[in-house]
Amino acid sequence: MKFLNNREFRRKKDLLWLLTKKEITLKYKRTFLGIFWSLLNPILFAIVLFIAFKIFMRIQMENYTFFLLAALFPWNWFSASIIISTGTLIGNVSLIKKVIFPRHFLIIATVLAQLINLVFAMPIIVAFSYYYGEGPGINWLLIVPILIAIQFTVTIGICLMVSVINAYFRDMEYIIGIIITMLFWMTPIIYPLDVIPEAYRIYLILNPLTYLITAWRDIFMSNSINWSNIIVSFGISLVFFLSGIFIFQRLGRSLDEVI
Amino acid sequence: MSYIIEVEDLWKRFPMRRDRPGFKEFFVNLPKFINRDSNSYFWALKGISIKVEKGECVGIIGKNGAGKSTLLSLILGNVYPTRGRVSVSEKITPLLELGAGFHPDMTGRENILINGVLLGLTKNEVMERMEDIIAFSDISDFINLPVRTYSTGMYLRLAFSVAIHMDPKLLLIDEILSVGDEAFQKKSRDALLNLINGGVTTIFASHQMSAIKEICHRAIWLDGGEIRAEGEPERVVEEYLRYPG
Repeated sequence: MKFLNNREFRRKKDLLWLLTKKEITLKYKRTFLGIFWSLLNPILFAIVLFIAFKIFMRIQMENYTFFLLAALFPWNWFSASIIISTGTLIGNVSLIKKVIFPRHFLIIATVLAQLINLVFAMPIIVAFSYYYGEGPGINWLLIVPILIAIQFTVTIGICLMVSVINAYFRDMEYIIGIIITMLFWMTPIIYPLDVIPEAYRIYLILNPLTYLITAWRDIFMSNSINWSNIIVSFGISLVFFLSGIFIFQRLGRSLDEVI
Repeated sequence: MSYIIEVEDLWKRFPMRRDRPGFKEFFVNLPKFINRDSNSYFWALKGISIKVEKGECVGIIGKNGAGKSTLLSLILGNVYPTRGRVSVSEKITPLLELGAGFHPDMTGRENILINGVLLGLTKNEVMERMEDIIAFSDISDFINLPVRTYSTGMYLRLAFSVAIHMDPKLLLIDEILSVGDEAFQKKSRDALLNLINGGVTTIFASHQMSAIKEICHRAIWLDGGEIRAEGEPERVVEEYLRYPG
């Protein structure tokens, strides 16, 4: 493993870690509740959704709170990463113009920093899993890292795209706001995948999160693994990842002219 | 003789209209846009060729907008050439903007660490130099406070101190010799001279003619994106100062 001792490799690793740490610590610096905001946010949201759909609309479903949270925590990692990374490049002008370093590290750091919220949420999910079911199984150790890797891949791809496009076309920021809201309702977060009529399921593949969120829920709520869901979401994530890299490299060349 | 920097027939243009027109302007001025001359560019550099040897200190002078900063950015690699070629065979330490990447809410120490790694060191290497950097900057009392509480002078001193402790091999400097008060200015100038005399290759863009004459081995006068004169600093500075334009 010679290259792991390579100085440049160590430096890159240090840089990525420091940028990530900076994102994490700065996000809630000077706030009273700090990192707990990242938990409070989805929990309060889940409560509101519970009141609206379970109490008012009287959806017939057991464990609806757990059902919501099992999808909301992963969704939050995705949506927060995208919303924040939209402004990452245009918010670091002096770094991009005056220092030489891999610019995509800024985006990776943003996505990694949001992952911490999901990690913090794990105890809550584990608690729910014990309360409503048989508790987390041994297969979590395999599937949770795989799903994190898949979601990381797709999120990075989209974040690379939107961050660099936003530098050229500032309307992106507002478009992203709308798309994230639409995506929230078009993804099986507050409803299960199987309520969607068969005829429309084919379009769901356009949404990179459909099968991923379903896979998260399978493992969290019933310790079950649906490999076809996982493989489909992996395929989709690769497509987004590669297009993200392509667009970022293409547009990144004349970034200095637009920011 | 091998060259550290080779710049060959370098051209760089920027689009003149830096802000894309919005939707409203687009409709108001529709006829104008249809007939718009789509080739309106500003050429910041027009066919520059420079070779820099190891250990050389090259001063770049010229009016505002002559292309000095663009040339430095191209050598750094943040900006891509429109035409031509830049090759650099050494790690670059840029001092183009002091405190680029400093975050106001992080402490002096935290900023030193992240800035040092951004400028090319590993975390351990920065930690080894930490006390030297703090000592040189003279702000030991404030080092654990957020940078937003610093005065401008303190901020710049800290940033300068980080930059010169990076073991630079090739320094790019854009007008930063006047940092802090008299005492610190002397200190920073001495530190830079030390580096240059120690064999660090330096490209130094400045309006301070005395500094150019004192520090540099060679001067290049840029005017309108072209090299107007090149050679002995004394002579080039003379010529530049005599030039009426």
